[in-house]
This record gives sequence, C-alpha cells and structure tokens, in this order.
Amino acid sequence: MAEMNINDAVVTTRLDAVVNWGRKNSLWPLPFGTACCAIEFMSMMASKYDMSRFGAEAMRFSPRQSDMMLILGTVTNKMAPVVRTIYAQMAEPKWVISVGVCASSGGMYRTYATLQGVDRVIPVDVYVPGCPPRPESMIYGVMKLQEKIEKESLSMRKDHIARFYESLARQDALQAEKGLTGQQTIREMLMDAAERGAGTIF
Amino acid sequence: MAHPASPFLPVLILLLVAAVTAIAILVLSGKVLPLLKPNNPQVAKLRPYECGVPPLQEGARHKYSVKFYLTAMLFILFDVEAAFLLPWAVNFKHALWTFGAMLSFMATLLVGFIYAWGKGAFEWER
Amino acid sequence: MIIEHIDAQLPGTVTDRHDFRGDQTIVVAKGNLLALVDLLYREGFQLLVDITAVDWPERQQRFDVVYHWLNLASQERLRVKVPVADGETVPTLTGHFKTADWFEREVFDLFGIRFDGHPNMKRLLTWDDFPGHALRKDFPLDGGDPFCMEGCTAPYNNGERARG
Repeated sequence: MAEMNINDAVVTTRLDAVVNWGRKNSLWPLPFGTACCAIEFMSMMASKYDMSRFGAEAMRFSPRQSDMMLILGTVTNKMAPVVRTIYAQMAEPKWVISVGVCASSGGMYRTYATLQGVDRVIPVDVYVPGCPPRPESMIYGVMKLQEKIEKESLSMRKDHIARFYESLARQDALQAEKGLTGQQTIREMLMDAAERGAGTIF
Repeated sequence: MAHPASPFLPVLILLLVAAVTAIAILVLSGKVLPLLKPNNPQVAKLRPYECGVPPLQEGARHKYSVKFYLTAMLFILFDVEAAFLLPWAVNFKHALWTFGAMLSFMATLLVGFIYAWGKGAFEWER
Repeated sequence: MIIEHIDAQLPGTVTDRHDFRGDQTIVVAKGNLLALVDLLYREGFQLLVDITAVDWPERQQRFDVVYHWLNLASQERLRVKVPVADGETVPTLTGHFKTADWFEREVFDLFGIRFDGHPNMKRLLTWDDFPGHALRKDFPLDGGDPFCMEGCTAPYNNGERARG
C-alpha cells in the first residue's frame, strides 16, 4: 500500500520539527469503537495505563474535533461506508491506527459479514495486532505513530489521502449511477480492485 | 516633574499591548498559519456530520420555536431592572422616600410581569 | 407431556419427534403450524424463544424452519421444526408473538424463506441489496472474498456479480 515514502529522504527542517512535536504530543483520538478492542481502549485511557501522558486524553467522538482515528474492533461490511464517511469528515492532519486483528485483517472472522481489514477502505498508518491487544501494545502503537509523525514534513504530499477522496467521489458516482446502497457499492469497488490486482479501493 | 497625564500611562500600555496582540493574531493566522497547516477542502469533508450515515432529512434548521425569543426578551427586561436595583441599593440609604420611588418603579414592572404571567409567557411546554 | 396434548387434540400433526437428553423436538407440516401455535399458546408456551432455519441442500424440502418455545409456568421447552422447500412461504407468527417480527426477518435475510402476512418483510442483518442469502449451504463460507489467496470456495452464483 503506497503511502508516504520515508525512503525518499524527506528533508525535515527545524520548523517541521516544531510542528511535528506539537502534532505528535497532542493526538486527540477518535475512538471508532465497535467491539472488544474498545474495552481495552477504555482500559488504556484509564489511570493505570494512562494515555493522557501522551497528550491524548481528549478523546472526541466527532471527526471534526479529533486527529487520530482508532479503529477499535470488527468492522462489518455494513459499517464500511460509515467508516469511510467519518474518515472523510476528519480535518487534516489525520492518522488512523487500526487496533486489533479484526480491524487490521478481519481477524478470526473470515465471513460474508466482516470487512477483511479496514485498510481495504481507508488508509491506515499503524496496525496494532492482538485480540485484543493489551493496553501496553496500544500505547506502543501510538508511540510508533508518534515516531512516524516525527519524520513527516510540511512539504510532503500525502497521496493516500488524495486517493482516498478520489475513491470517495468514485463511490458516490457509482452509487448514483447504479442505485445501489453504499455497502453494495463498496463491495463492487472491492471486486473491481481485486480484478485489477490492487489491495484497496483507493 | 510628573506629566499631567501620567496616571493614564497604564492605559496607554494596555492599549498598545492589545493592539499588538490583535495585529499579531491576525497576521499569524492570516499569513503564517496557512503556510503551516494542511489545506485540503473536499466536498465530502464539508458535508454535515450525521454519525457517518447519509443525512436523514435535508436541513434541520426550519422550525424554530418562538419560546426561545420570548424567554430571552423577558430575561433582558428583568435583568435590566435588576441592574437598576443594584446602584439604588448601594447609594440611596439616607432617605425613606427613595424606597417609595423604587417601589413605584418596580410596581410598573410588576404590572408587566403579571401580564406576561397571565398570558402564559412563563409556560415552557405549550 | 405437551406432545401427548398435541397428539390428543390435533391428531396427525406431529410427523416426527425426537427426545435427545431432555430436548423435545417435533416435526410438523407447515399447514398445521398455526393450529399448533394456537394450542401451544393456550397450553402456556407463551415465550417464543427463537425462530431460525437449517439448510439441508440434498433434501427435497431443503429448509427446516425451527421454532423454540418456553413454558414459563412449567419450565418446559419445545422445539418445532417445519420443513419447507425453496420458494415456499411459511405463515407468520407476528399476530401471536411480536418477537417473531425480527426473527422472521432474520430468517428471510439469511435463508430466503418468506413469511406470509409479515408486516415488514425486509432484510435485517445484511444490507438491502446484499446478493444472495448468507447461511445457505451454497453460499461461499468467506462471502466471496475477492482477495482470497488460497483455499477459496467456488464463487457464488458462478462468479456472476450482482449488478444493481
């Protein structure tokens, strides 16, 4: 999955360092909690494992007010358009951590109902495996995201976000053209993507 | 040798600081911030947020109950009355006729209060 | 003992019965279902616990619609199976039991069995234009996952895709 290419030797300036420091230490999560991983998330936010020491205590359940979406739990095919819409409505800069195996790859659910990994429909930055991952693992995932943010640059283009919005426009067009529901449109787009060998619909 | 306007020096300093702050905020957010922040306006991003599902009805802004306006208006009137009450209470303690004057002022407003009460302006559920 | 009641009052209804470790199960034809339900309701089986179905693809009447009842007074449970063929409809129980509403919608969604007289015969768990019925035995186990690498089942509908 092509995302920002760290290997392209992005030169970060002092300004980038300051901006990234601010961004990584104030990641406000949007907990997209659907299943058991959300319980572990609650545990992580509580005092024993304490995410607030990372600046991430202010969880906001609105995409307008958060910058890090944590997909916590199984995403069904019926929920897929909702995840896409909510990701679309987040303001940049935005990152996604897919927590748990269900969000990363479908987990133990290889069925008609489960989306086999949320990275088929939205771009994901960090995957945290586990069923459910321990709170320490989730914190490690956030720390990895912080490392990733450190390496960003203001002049860097985020292709994956641009492609995501293009795919959303294609989804709307396809849905209007064929009169399908959002879910069936996404399934059609997935099958099209499979035919041309891509791993995602964006 | 003190300048005659010297008690007002703090005011001048405050004025300058406020002006500098205001201009700094305007310049930073107008010129500097657009260089730092990502700018990616997208149609899908600007749609109204309805928990990710397509909006159930177009525009939820039409029917606006008048009781909000009524409550605000009544609040203003009686709040101004209370504001008049305060300096009177602090200042006019030396004579008794001032008490009567204030009573007649409040009686005028009391008439309005009883009228609003009778008309049901205080009933929220209607 | 409920089965004896049924035999006494509706003779010939019960075409088969099993009793496995205390689970009483009877098989009835769908024409007798409503009369049986009336009797069960009078006898105190007033909690409809579940409606589901099973797909036996090699049988002629491929589906078994399975009802579970609980008698709250005597704590007796009863399972009723109604064999139906593909395309046949079953009378609805929403008149007697409000809970049958969504149970029957679930059975329709996952097996394709329609219920006569149902007030809202729409899919419940999958989305409105989901192609196919998910718990039938000929529906692929992984849902026709397009990125299946190995161990894939045959594509549903011979690979023809639902086109709106």
